[in-house]
Amino acid sequence: MAWRCTLHLRNHLNALITHFHLQPRFTFHNKMPGKHVDQALEQPCRRCKDVSAVLVVRSEPLCRECFFKYVHTKAIKRLESFRVRNANPNHQRTLLLPLSFGVSSVSLLHILDRQLKTQMSKTGRTGFAIHVVHIQIPGDESIITVDELLSKAKEAYPDFKYTSLALHDVFRLTSDATLNDLCPKTNHSETASPPEKLAALINSLTSATARADVLSTLSTRLTVEHAKTSGCEGILWGDTTTKLAEKTLSETAKGRGFSLPWQISDGESPHGVTFNYPMRDVLKKELVSYVDLVGSPVSDLICEPSAIRQASMSSKNTTIDDLMSKYFEEVETNFPSIVSNVVRTTGKLEAVSAPASAPRCDLCSMPVSDGRFGIHGWGGDQQESAERIAIASGPQLCYGCSRSIPQPSK
Amino acid sequence: MAPKPCALCTVNPAAIVRPKDRSALCKPCFFNVFETEIHHTITSTNLFARGERIAIGASGGKDSTVLASVLKTLNERYDYGVELILLSIDEGIKGYRDDSLETVKRNAKEYGMELTILGYKELYGWTMDQVVEQVGKKGNCTYCGVFRRQALDRGAAKLGVKHVVTGHNADDVAETVLMNLLRGDLPRLSRTTSIVTSTPSSVASSSPTDPASHTNIKRSKPLKYAYEKEIVLYALHKNLTYFSTECIYSPEAFRGSARALIKNLERVRPSAILDVVRSGEDMAKLCPGSDEGCGGACGSSTSAIPMAEEEEGGCGSSNGRNAGSEMANMDRQLAQNEAAVENELEVEITFHGRDGTQQKIKKQPKKIKGQAAASVPRKAVTKQVMGKCKKCGYLSSQEVCKACTLLEGLNKNRPKNHIEVGYDAEPENHVRDLAGQVKGLEVGSG
Ligand SMILES: [Zn+2]
Ligand SMILES: [Zn+2]
Ligand SMILES: [Zn+2]
Ligand SMILES: [Zn+2]
Repeated sequence: MAWRCTLHLRNHLNALITHFHLQPRFTFHNKMPGKHVDQALEQPCRRCKDVSAVLVVRSEPLCRECFFKYVHTKAIKRLESFRVRNANPNHQRTLLLPLSFGVSSVSLLHILDRQLKTQMSKTGRTGFAIHVVHIQIPGDESIITVDELLSKAKEAYPDFKYTSLALHDVFRLTSDATLNDLCPKTNHSETASPPEKLAALINSLTSATARADVLSTLSTRLTVEHAKTSGCEGILWGDTTTKLAEKTLSETAKGRGFSLPWQISDGESPHGVTFNYPMRDVLKKELVSYVDLVGSPVSDLICEPSAIRQASMSSKNTTIDDLMSKYFEEVETNFPSIVSNVVRTTGKLEAVSAPASAPRCDLCSMPVSDGRFGIHGWGGDQQESAERIAIASGPQLCYGCSRSIPQPSK
Repeated sequence: MAPKPCALCTVNPAAIVRPKDRSALCKPCFFNVFETEIHHTITSTNLFARGERIAIGASGGKDSTVLASVLKTLNERYDYGVELILLSIDEGIKGYRDDSLETVKRNAKEYGMELTILGYKELYGWTMDQVVEQVGKKGNCTYCGVFRRQALDRGAAKLGVKHVVTGHNADDVAETVLMNLLRGDLPRLSRTTSIVTSTPSSVASSSPTDPASHTNIKRSKPLKYAYEKEIVLYALHKNLTYFSTECIYSPEAFRGSARALIKNLERVRPSAILDVVRSGEDMAKLCPGSDEGCGGACGSSTSAIPMAEEEEGGCGSSNGRNAGSEMANMDRQLAQNEAAVENELEVEITFHGRDGTQQKIKKQPKKIKGQAAASVPRKAVTKQVMGKCKKCGYLSSQEVCKACTLLEGLNKNRPKNHIEVGYDAEPENHVRDLAGQVKGLEVGSG
């Protein structure tokens, strides 16, 4: 009987739902750009009304050119402050583009190239210059492919300056010694090379989630460090709406709710360079279609291990990030506007103003303004405070980083 | 092969793997750890005051049964000096509560606690059976939900009790955090992370002379940091009697989706439930206009909105909709907002939020008429102004609280003998509410 549903009955534990709750009954296949061709072909493009549409974007049938314009406009709108008229002729502004050879960063590379060419042809100069950096993460077995991809990128977009770094360079480049202190001590700690340090750190972690978390945190830090040392005033991250929504939920799940405003907002970051997300209004699935339709050279530069990831979903190697990316893949398919709304909502969180002197996390470098390091000392902590004091001498990690790198408590 | 020894006492063989951290413990050590953690929660948040009379909202389910058992144990062990009583609500649905109320009665006897069972009939003048008779099966979910949310507070007021504790656990809180992120509701996210959800500061000022006023009821959840799985294990190994019912309806889509995520997260990293709660508390401090000092991390922080107005876990909010429609509706609504902004054809319309607050949002007028809007395309996070219901005195964001509005409709149509004169409400709006279309959009006159 229908009224039973409002009675306060709690699900018994046995009813654990082990799979996602989004059932096929609320799918709207016609909204998927991937399945564009069959439906879209019959109708004219809604914008130019001239050519027939090649896909449906947010329920609008668009032709190829109008779709490109749609994607470009969304990205360029986010770069208003870097227009030529804002540029100081005596000082070229430089921005760093981290290139992972995923759909988003490659698309952004392509769009920025077009934008700079347009600026050049219209005004004879550009509003900014781009440095590209690729960071090699250990575990990517395809280093040969990466070299190949990098030279392809240089060939296709020769106006940019390129750098390739290995993740362990983070121990060489970061100015503070605290990062080194996080590596487990061995007999020859003093003489360990950066690759050895990184390997020791990663091998000391006990879960796939922790390893993925530390790798991506270090990668962000290396990117920031490189931006600073190479004179870039800001970083252009490729994250799409979908990626930012994933990040919101996965950082929440990892106990980093406190740092969300710094992680997904445009503008000043606590790291001394600006963070910009020009693709924040474009969905991942839209960029997948974009790459498809642009074709070469964009599609030749993509190297995404997505298929491999999916296969290991149910195994022990699943990470919180994997879980969220799988989740939002589903939400994006059925409810794309909910994805954007998550990002918009998180964008309303107000960052705590953190003075440069605020204590920072040794791993992620985020300000921990109330000095609440570690997993102790809050309501959900059930340990007595003696333990907290013992920890105060070791590395200082924020709540989220403490979950990934547990500190010996005695 | 000898069984592994308990990680804590190292003497007894381990019998339980703790869901929270996967440590292997013997039964006595598990009981002790579980109880001590709840004691820690109570003392570190100064939840109880000596001499206080506290009503445990008892449904006969596992959460409230374990809560009653543990609170009795702790009150004796640590001499809190509080008086614990049980308060159960009977919706007045023939045959429905029989088993669970039997369970509660047995618990009352076992724990030596005073039990009061209050029916909707006594609280509102209507049983749910009578409501169904009057309005039919379609809209009655709204009544039951709204009535249930206030029932504990009204019941406590009747008993002269100022503090009601409920069995909400860490899974419920974590679920609510993710759910409110998914539906974009920061104010609700920040409120539901607090351990205490009423305003003790306003208690003294609001109406000190009226002991029956139910605006002064403090609500709290001592199991806020306790894992659902551990609650089940505790009940199981302590042989506690509880009545387990599986809701035959799927929860509303956002909650169901969030619940599934929490379960998956727990499998990947058991601490994740606690970590989401921690994130929620921290994010509460970052919400615009937040005046919450610490999101419940310290004892002084409370939320300004009575929890009875919130949907706080459980399956009690599906309003008879099918599970998918809520997400689909919201998605459609948001898409229209986006399109409207894009086309710069914005017209101001009045939006009746799910909590009844009126908000101005920008919208394209033509497509919207008559369409159910999803909950929350909010342009800015609005701070709700809470007042008191002018009929019953309950804390409410509107002039007349939802329960009184519904009651008024019911009483108006009560056959002949009982006619209550209503205040000057606009019936159309309430009829929409009754029909479960609280989220309807209307094109405003302005
Ligand atoms: Zn076109
Ligand atoms: Zn950190
Ligand atoms: Zn033991
Ligand atoms: Zn009222």
